[in-house]
Amino acid sequence: MLKTRTWIILFAALLIAAAVFWWILGRRSASSSTVQIIHDGEVIREIDLDTVKEAYEFTWEDADGNRNLIRVEPGRIRVTEANCPDRICVEHGWLSRELTPIVCLPHRLMIQWKEAAP
Amino acid sequence: MSADKAPKKQISLPLRLTTDAMLTALGLGIWFLEAQLPPLVPIPGVKLGLSNIVILFALFRLGPADAAAVLLTRVLLASLFGGQAVSLLFSLCGGLLAFLVMWPVRRIVTNRQIWVAGILGALAHNTGQILAARFLIGQDAIFAYVPILIISAILTGLFTGICAQGAIRRLPFPPRLT
Repeated sequence: MLKTRTWIILFAALLIAAAVFWWILGRRSASSSTVQIIHDGEVIREIDLDTVKEAYEFTWEDADGNRNLIRVEPGRIRVTEANCPDRICVEHGWLSRELTPIVCLPHRLMIQWKEAAP
Repeated sequence: MSADKAPKKQISLPLRLTTDAMLTALGLGIWFLEAQLPPLVPIPGVKLGLSNIVILFALFRLGPADAAAVLLTRVLLASLFGGQAVSLLFSLCGGLLAFLVMWPVRRIVTNRQIWVAGILGALAHNTGQILAARFLIGQDAIFAYVPILIISAILTGLFTGICAQGAIRRLPFPPRLT
């Protein structure tokens, strides 16, 4: 049986380690300028954001009526509208260089950098 | 330490069943209320996990079988009422892994360290969910969320653990029937 103080030190250390790791991850940027749109583990579309000259939008939809409106601008991409329950993908905002992908778990959809796993 | 075992033998089967049913209803209500709140932060998987208070209460006050029953019934009913098949997978992976960790932890913490079980349960819950998400999405890039999910588990697990500890230590049990 551990003392309460030992537990506090253990959890504080884990918290700090995770925070440092998160910070380092946030400072690293994607090496590729190509994003992949993934559904159910498969790449359904690839876009090289450096070659985008004019902003455009397109809608992704599956057979169940799950819908995400995706906006592409030079160098960045985001989900602007979605009919998922939590809309976390919309709240995520732009993906412009950071490694954390845009995720829409209810729709099993993700926008990630090509060859940029953490 | 052994205070949590005594009531298990004292209460009759009908009282135990009624308590389990009541805790399930309470957990379902808390789960439903939390689902109505907008996400705290726009990060997939981050939530308070208030219904774990009920599971911790069942685990420490009644026993592992009761906690498992309350958990499974709550998860199944919740996905029946409000969720998709995907949310059932997530709830099951997170909930079961949390339970499997909190169960043995019950034996190594004192009455004043129940919050530890809350944090370890939340860490296990988020581990289960990120693995389910990795399985579903099929891409390793999703692991970029691991550090923030660890931070979130420590903070939310501490909060729900403290709530559960207060309830377990202060509520009279078995309930006094007048």
